[in-house]
Amino acid sequence: MSAKEQKKAKRFGMVIDLDKCTGCGACMVACMAENNVPFKKDESNKLDSITWMRVFKLTNGKEYPDADVCYLPRPCQHCEGHDGHSPCVSVCPATATDYSRETGIVSQIYTRCFGCRYCMAACPYHARYFNWWDPVWPKGMEKMLSPDVSVRMRGIVEKCSFCFHRYQRAMDKAHLEGRRELAENEYQTACTQACPAGAITFGDLNNPGHAVYKLKQSPNAFRLLERLGTNTKVYYVSEREWVRRAGDNYLAHEKTGQVAAAH
Amino acid sequence: MKIDRRSFLSLGVGAGAGIALSPLPWKLTDDLSIWTQMWPWTPVPKDGEIRYVNSVSTLCRCGCGIKVRKVDDRAVKIEGQEGYPGSDGSACALCMSGIQRLYSPTAIRMPLKNTGTKDAPLWQSVTWDAAIREISEKLGKLRKEGKPQALACISGSDKGTVPALFRRFLQAYGSPNFMSMPSYEDAYEMTLKLMHGTDSAVGFDLENADYVISFGSGILEGWGSSVRMFKAKSAWKDKKVKTVQVDTRLSNSAAKADLWLAVKPGSESLLALGMAAVIISEKLYDKKFADQYTFAFDSWKDAEGKEHRGFKEFILENYSLSYVARATGIEESQIVKIAKEFAGASAPIALCGRGQGNTPGSVHEFMAVHALNALAGNINQKGGVWAMPKDDYIQWDEAATDGIAEKGLETPRIDGAGTEKYPLSKSLPHRLAAIINAAEKSPVEVLLVSGANPLYSLPDSRAVKKAFGRIPFIVSFASHMDETSEMADMILPCPSHLERYEDVPTPAGMIRKVTGLARPVVRPQYNRKNAGDSLILIAKALGGSIAGSFPWAAYEECLEKTFGDKWKTLKETGYITEDFSPPYWDAAFATPSKKFAFMSEVCAGAEKKGGTGAAKPEGEENTFPLLLIPFDSMRLACGPVAPTPFMMKTVSDHMLKGKYTVVEIHPETAQKYGLKEGKNAVLSTPKGEAEVKVHLSRRTAPGIVAMPRGLGHSGPDEYISGKGSNFNELIAAVEDPVSGLDAAWGIRAKLVKA
Amino acid sequence: MDSALIPEGVKRCSFGKFMVFISIVSAVLLWGVYAMLLCWLKGLNQTNMNDYYGFALWIWADLAVIALGGGAFFSGFLKYLVGKDELKNIINYAVLIGFICYSSALLILAIDIGQPLRGWFIFWHANVHSMLTEVAFCLSCYFGVLCIEYIPLVLENRQLNKVPFFHNFAHNLHEIMAVFAATGAFLSFFHQGSLGGVAGVLFGRPFAYREGVFVWPWTFFLFTWSAAAFGPCFTLSLTKLLEKISGKKLVKDNVIELLAKISGWMIFTYTIAKIADTYYWAVVTAPGKGQTLMEFYTGNAFYGIWILVLEVIIGGLIPGLILITNKGRKNKYLLTTAIILACIGVSVNRWVMVLQVMAVPVMPFDTWALYYPSWQEVATTILPVAYGVLLIGISYRYMPIFPQERELNPID
Ligand SMILES: Nc1nc2c(c(=O)[nH]1)N[C@H]1C(S)=C(S)[C@@H](COP(=O)(O)OP(=O)(O)OC[C@H]3O[C@@H](n4cnc5c(=O)[nH]c(N)nc54)[C@H](O)[C@@H]3O)O[C@H]1N2
Ligand SMILES: Nc1nc2c(c(=O)[nH]1)N[C@H]1C(S)=C(S)[C@@H](COP(=O)(O)OP(=O)(O)OC[C@H]3O[C@@H](n4cnc5c(=O)[nH]c(N)nc54)[C@H](O)[C@@H]3O)O[C@H]1N2
Ligand code: SF4
Ligand code: SF4
Ligand code: SF4
Ligand code: SF4
Ligand code: SF4
Ligand SMILES: [Mo]
Repeated sequence: MSAKEQKKAKRFGMVIDLDKCTGCGACMVACMAENNVPFKKDESNKLDSITWMRVFKLTNGKEYPDADVCYLPRPCQHCEGHDGHSPCVSVCPATATDYSRETGIVSQIYTRCFGCRYCMAACPYHARYFNWWDPVWPKGMEKMLSPDVSVRMRGIVEKCSFCFHRYQRAMDKAHLEGRRELAENEYQTACTQACPAGAITFGDLNNPGHAVYKLKQSPNAFRLLERLGTNTKVYYVSEREWVRRAGDNYLAHEKTGQVAAAH
Repeated sequence: MKIDRRSFLSLGVGAGAGIALSPLPWKLTDDLSIWTQMWPWTPVPKDGEIRYVNSVSTLCRCGCGIKVRKVDDRAVKIEGQEGYPGSDGSACALCMSGIQRLYSPTAIRMPLKNTGTKDAPLWQSVTWDAAIREISEKLGKLRKEGKPQALACISGSDKGTVPALFRRFLQAYGSPNFMSMPSYEDAYEMTLKLMHGTDSAVGFDLENADYVISFGSGILEGWGSSVRMFKAKSAWKDKKVKTVQVDTRLSNSAAKADLWLAVKPGSESLLALGMAAVIISEKLYDKKFADQYTFAFDSWKDAEGKEHRGFKEFILENYSLSYVARATGIEESQIVKIAKEFAGASAPIALCGRGQGNTPGSVHEFMAVHALNALAGNINQKGGVWAMPKDDYIQWDEAATDGIAEKGLETPRIDGAGTEKYPLSKSLPHRLAAIINAAEKSPVEVLLVSGANPLYSLPDSRAVKKAFGRIPFIVSFASHMDETSEMADMILPCPSHLERYEDVPTPAGMIRKVTGLARPVVRPQYNRKNAGDSLILIAKALGGSIAGSFPWAAYEECLEKTFGDKWKTLKETGYITEDFSPPYWDAAFATPSKKFAFMSEVCAGAEKKGGTGAAKPEGEENTFPLLLIPFDSMRLACGPVAPTPFMMKTVSDHMLKGKYTVVEIHPETAQKYGLKEGKNAVLSTPKGEAEVKVHLSRRTAPGIVAMPRGLGHSGPDEYISGKGSNFNELIAAVEDPVSGLDAAWGIRAKLVKA
Repeated sequence: MDSALIPEGVKRCSFGKFMVFISIVSAVLLWGVYAMLLCWLKGLNQTNMNDYYGFALWIWADLAVIALGGGAFFSGFLKYLVGKDELKNIINYAVLIGFICYSSALLILAIDIGQPLRGWFIFWHANVHSMLTEVAFCLSCYFGVLCIEYIPLVLENRQLNKVPFFHNFAHNLHEIMAVFAATGAFLSFFHQGSLGGVAGVLFGRPFAYREGVFVWPWTFFLFTWSAAAFGPCFTLSLTKLLEKISGKKLVKDNVIELLAKISGWMIFTYTIAKIADTYYWAVVTAPGKGQTLMEFYTGNAFYGIWILVLEVIIGGLIPGLILITNKGRKNKYLLTTAIILACIGVSVNRWVMVLQVMAVPVMPFDTWALYYPSWQEVATTILPVAYGVLLIGISYRYMPIFPQERELNPID
């Protein structure tokens, strides 16, 4: 690889095969365990339940037995927007969330966020979660907390970080070994690794050597709400047209996959 | 100095400006913001040395390889273990949240004795010595009274050393009443017994199959070894292997299959036989297999010249396309198409066992589905169904029995297994409750429960609860409080799954032997003992031939001796595996004819008893116009282990809302009974009732109520308990006429506005 | 008892009666303070807000009071910069209302954020791209201006004014008030606009998003315009209300009618602009993002097209038309109806731009999210109202708010 290519910014992202995703929820749990996500006694109100990774259920609306369902795992989409102006990053008044031009990762600085929730209003994917309560671990269970990710306190917003600490860990290791580049398998997110169906592929969307580079070019690949110009880095693939169509708002006459915003 | 107004003001302004320019306010503001960033009550995870420890999970029957990330002696994350046979690098939601189980405050830390009643237990901690003494005294007395058969045991499984130690204990003690919790594996075992004549476990060469039809098996709902099934399913997609799911409800498996055949409830076996009829009439079956290696495929005459109808004729006569289409609700052309595709594939495989497979099901249904594999000639072949020899690593000497034991062992089993009624079955725990409740005095006087939560998992759990209430002494070997332990008289705490050694036998459906070893990942937190150790202590306390049957000082020694020279490898690598190649058809079958049997003598009688095919659900159609069927989800643990707080976070609000289970009904059903989305309703069956919420969905047919399994635990903590209703409280077992196994797949029900 | 404090030449109710009034309003105020403390000490779980409804009732109240308080900057603008001198007879009251509205708005923001003690990060770590940063800066500065405008009123209290320093200070402030009014107007034009921008820049929310010029979406201009247009109606409404309660005429009709006329034309022109904006959004912007107008108003239990009609026609076009006609302004009932409708109209606009934005699903498989406030939210939203009533009561009693009061209500 040439020095120039090495310098090229990374755009970490995912390609999720919706025809493989079984809706099992392993990715959700892996993410919670990896990232010290808090839990409450009642989590059945999905409007205040913190799930950085949330698996949505889509239905085709047809009559039994033509009905069909599809599961759609939704981490933060790490929107690039136009030139790094992610919907959420551009609105945060305190610069508590940022778009990294080196990695394409949208970060969240918990200690700076003061909980105005403007970013949540801006995110059409509901990827951001507010800590309405103090996080509480039952006595003894705080032993499970990982020191890689700080525990968030009440009153601030949190979200999927693409397991940024894993990137840091991998980079630290690489630097110690005198390398500046990571191999594809050195930095993988917890949800990607967890998925028993192998539905999630993670890597550098800019790197032709990474699996995501090819997968995203599938004619069946699409992104969520692409036409809003959010310019996300999570791609989805499905052979089913109704699923691809459910990924965006289409006017009745518009053809699937034929509309996308310019940015 | 006189302070006039002017100087006062300027002094004030000066002071203000001074303070503002001094570091004080800035320091205070900074401190304040730092304080808000780290409130003292927000935990700060401690850092430490990071290590990974491999182990094997005992949280469910699937036995997946896990990798635990540790910081000093704290386990912080569980992941799949790369390269582990079957699960290879992945784990499901339950295992990945297993640390919440390890560190749960509901872990039982010391032996507990119930000094209250069964309805209102009062737990008092006792020493290990006292607990073992009390149990052995009770057991000694029972034997003295000449009633060793009044001891019974319910074990979560019948495989591995711990269940084997329990079975051995009962043997030495003199009771035939060892029971293991039922699963579809029992039905497959019976099927292989009847059709192959062998005592074997079923194996599926899924990775090499090129056409898959599942008769209700929840490939993506936890059937088989779940993680392996997930991987197989994704591999089929990549290889464009066609998958067909036969299911009444659009399960996740159905949604992900290439084709969903929405059969009428309970008609799965008819569809299988209808497909068989097409394959036979179109002559698409494997001729070589049928002609040379099967018995009674064609009609035949016995030695006395009596005419016997063959399988071929029987099927062609009874399962005409029009009848099967009508009965299953699947179009004739569709049945023909699927049958042709199946028979035309080079390695087609047909799977049976509904949902996660926790209810065994009808043996005839399994036989009908297995007949398809036979017609395709895909038995013991690459990509087919194999009869696997069972694990045989436990080669202990026979337990010594004294006179009392011998007499006790001659008594018939309380659950009726192996008796005249159900000669072929080994264990029928679902029959226990009714038998105890019908008797004047409970025939079981002491019950040992290990690795199982029968009070939650057996059908008609209210009756089970009543029965357990009548058993004078129950000992529960458990690591956490659960429904069964709540009813116990003594609890002997076991280390959690991350704190103990235990062998993990070959998981269901594997085509190679895999023995895993669960190991202590963290230092044991409390003074608990492995069930094996407790049992050895009790045996020693009882003395005599019982003590003599337990020559090991401790469970670990037993494990070590059991594996002999393989122990070192097992301990080092975490598992040992042995390849297996199935024998060819000429040496595969052990029926009287040494050939594959499509039909069995046993069934001939059973046909008269209850007919073939699926069981009839309990209940009158007039009072209970709807049909309640369960469905399973990977987001809930349906086995003995309750789901974790993390899992509960993943449970959809279309399954659980607040304290109510959400049931799925078709909008038409909702309209008919005046029910609305999200509103409460009372669901009742002949066995019980529950208040639920309804969700309108077109995943189910009109007239069906679909209810998730795995909710409604009464313990162990506020994260799990009181959430939803237990499906098992609403369902009754329906005995399969051949095996006596529970073949219920649904029950009649009524749903009215709450 | 407190007669020494009451301005000369005016009549006020008895001290006892006044204390009863103060007590009742204070009780309501304390209820609000209790709710506020709950939110601060226990956190925002005291509200019914959730991850879909991150902005809710009190943020609407916040935006609404800022719009309604717009009477202050716009009257100041008209008096000091345009030279409508008659408005000096209502400007004090406009400033008082503005002061109440803006202090309330800041208080609400302090309750609304999850980490109030870190609130200052918005200044310290300011993100120039964020409309909220702009709002925070301009709002705070303008509040400073309002304080400066309000202080002379306080200092004109009979007793305070006896202190030479205060007297001189107030006098000097009055002299340079035009400078502050101009600064205030400038800041207001901006922050009112930024508030509009808060919703308008949300390109991930087709319901809220509007195109515009440079970094400013059309809502930026519409919010400024509407605050200027509707704010005076709120000043007029509260004037009418106070007149009704005190049973006295406080401002001469020509002043009222002048302000109503200007407001009327502002409302009328605003409504035309708003209709044009809505039309463009419905026909070009939203469909460009894949959504049709009616998708925003169907499929839920609350938000129907009625809300658009209420906002634009009933709360916009109708009051505008009434107020631009001489007959409308002269007719007591029509005038009152118009100014009330106008206040409703602008409040509905702020509601829609905050709450409906949260309710409308964007992902095709997402659902409408409806919300109702908890009592703590209601109490905390009523808190500024009680505070406002209290401040108006005290200010009216002890300060010469209405210069024409003495002339219109001679005591002897
Ligand atoms: N109020 C408040 N503010 C804080 C903190 C706080 O506690 N309170 N914490 C502070 C702390 S500790 C931190 S670390 C920051 C976090 O915040 P920042 O460091 O400002 O930003 P991040 O986005 O978190 O990630 C670090 C950046 O470095 C890039 N990066 C990572 N590895 C490499 C590499 O090898 N080479 C290059 N060129 N770039 C790389 C990432 O892509 C990313 O852009 O926030 C700081 N700010
Ligand atoms: N998901 C996600 N995870 C992340 C990041 C991310 O962006 N996203 N960022 C990563 C980064 S850059 C960082 S730096 C870490 C931050 O994670 P942490 O290193 O956990 O940093 P803080 O959360 O700021 O907490 C530091 C802790 O140090 C303690 N402390 C403060 N002062 C002192 C002292 O004087 N003495 C002692 N003994 N203790 C003290 C306090 O208890 C405080 O809680 O999180 C990493 N993890
Ligand atoms: S783990 Fe994989 S299969 Fe399961 S829900 Fe997540 S993405 Fe889907
Ligand atoms: S998905 Fe939401 S939170 Fe994530 S980058 Fe995009 S707008 Fe921001
Ligand atoms: S809630 Fe936090 S991250 Fe979000 S916009 Fe406000 S300060 Fe920024
Ligand atoms: S990438 Fe990491 S943080 Fe994001 S959803 Fe996956 S596991 Fe969670
Ligand atoms: S299937 Fe799931 S719970 Fe069972 S052993 Fe495997 S990972 Fe663990
Ligand atoms: Mo850091």
